[in-house]
Amino acid sequence: MTAQVLDRELDRLEGLWSDGLSDAYRAYLESVHRFEPDARPKLALAAALIEVGTRLQGLGGRAAPPTTLLMGDLCLARGSRLLADNAPLAVQVAFARAIESIASAAASSSAAPPTRLLLQQSLGATR
Amino acid sequence: MSAARLEFATSRSTEFVDLTARIRDEVGRAGLRNGRVHLQSLHTTVGLAVNENEPLLLRDFQGMLERIAPAGAGYEHDDFTRRIDIALDEPVNGHAHCRQLLLSAFLTLLVEDGELVMGRWQSVFAVELDGPRRRQLAMQLDGDFVRRHATEMPDSLVEVELARQLMVDPEPVAAPMRRLVEAGGKRLRPRLVQLTAGIGPRSDPLRAAELAAAVELLHNATLIHDDYVDESTHRRGRPTVAAAEGPERAIAVGDYYFAKATRLIAEMGNPAVTSAVAEALEAICASQIDDVALRGTYPGDRDSYLRVVRGKTASLFAAACASGALLSEAAPDVVGALRRYGDLLGTAFQMADDMVDFSPSSGKPVGLDIRQRVLSLPLIYAADDRVVGPEVRKLLAGTLGDAEVGRVAELVTTSDALPRVRREAQALVEDAVRQIENVELDGLRPVLVGLARSAVDRSS
Repeated sequence: MTAQVLDRELDRLEGLWSDGLSDAYRAYLESVHRFEPDARPKLALAAALIEVGTRLQGLGGRAAPPTTLLMGDLCLARGSRLLADNAPLAVQVAFARAIESIASAAASSSAAPPTRLLLQQSLGATR
Repeated sequence: MSAARLEFATSRSTEFVDLTARIRDEVGRAGLRNGRVHLQSLHTTVGLAVNENEPLLLRDFQGMLERIAPAGAGYEHDDFTRRIDIALDEPVNGHAHCRQLLLSAFLTLLVEDGELVMGRWQSVFAVELDGPRRRQLAMQLDGDFVRRHATEMPDSLVEVELARQLMVDPEPVAAPMRRLVEAGGKRLRPRLVQLTAGIGPRSDPLRAAELAAAVELLHNATLIHDDYVDESTHRRGRPTVAAAEGPERAIAVGDYYFAKATRLIAEMGNPAVTSAVAEALEAICASQIDDVALRGTYPGDRDSYLRVVRGKTASLFAAACASGALLSEAAPDVVGALRRYGDLLGTAFQMADDMVDFSPSSGKPVGLDIRQRVLSLPLIYAADDRVVGPEVRKLLAGTLGDAEVGRVAELVTTSDALPRVRREAQALVEDAVRQIENVELDGLRPVLVGLARSAVDRSS
């Protein structure tokens, strides 16, 4: 079940699995125990895609070249769609606010909390 | 019921004033869907008639009136010595009153599906019989009207919502987005959201404006990243965020508003709406990757073009239409029809946008798409053209300086490419219109049809 979900959701992004996405996915699996079993891999993957996506884009650092930026954009969009289809409203909102805070810090050249920490906290959001 | 006065001035003693177009405008403005237009002359020397607007025929009518009631034929009404309480400027116009008796002072016209019901040769005339003068007709419209929130929801509601959202954001992200938003844009996607959000039973103009503004912010967020990828220096006549503030800021602003827009939509609490927009965003991003990949085989082929355009442009049009309808809890068949309408309209819109690149009167530099190697259907057709194709392909394979771009644009315009794209876009629009033929749209069909047709007419 999990493998099928991952295969489907990694379309076009397969190369990223060995480039940090699998490590991030496993890390987020630790934060999704409170959700229904079917939703856990999807939510962990959503968080991992968003973390890897912002890193690929160079958000908060040096801008990625255009083709890499587009891969990052697709990671964010797919993560967002996985959340829309599988996460409670509070979690969706918390993820969006996390990205807003990271992007806002990047735009003002100030330091943002670590992305993984923010996203793990978002997975715990209840309201 | 809606009431108004139709005012007009005449310049001759007898004159047939064709009011058909003005009445049509009033029907559209009032949003009358099915019903009647009642007209009443407010003068005893102005009549009403429905007939053919053919100049020689109008002279025949005038001649007939003059024969039946000739001027100066000894009308008792004109014998001021026998009348009481006459004004100092009382006209000698017994003939005009008698002629008016041959016409009517009242007229009722039927309206079906938002259109005045008129025969092919019929026009509505006010007949001046004692001009020149300023005249007035009383007009009342009654029947079923399109609900006001559907067609007359002010665009300013979306503008206010956009401004409100940008006001609360941190300045480093808000300022660049505000410049982009204030530079204009066609606002087609928010318009589609507003319109379709008026269809279902739970229509709410304020919630529709919130969704429309969020969709517009999302669209602009994708444009900010696109401009960096395409190395565009200007958009809507202003420097792009990437050009003005650097790619790092552009990426951050795009991400911020991507996240904020998805949050605003999620907070509306309608999961179907959230999913519809999220799917569109994913399609946009995937197609953008395809678009860039296809630049290696520039200008590409029609199938690849359509695949990219459906993802990059049409998906958000479709989501805008579907999400508005979903927000108002429209029936599933209506949502489906509107989604297909948006998909076809979005594709046609992009084709029309491609044609603008070859129009000197568009206000944009001609050949910008060629210079940036942006996917363009006219270019694909020109490259396939038997006559100009070899030269187009040869030029596109080399370095594109001003002279080469100018020559390619010239070759495209001399070929059949632009008329071919226009025909294809128009066919897609008609297909879009057919999608919404058999669903209940609460009188919105004429508005959606008009919007679709105007979206592809802009390049001409």
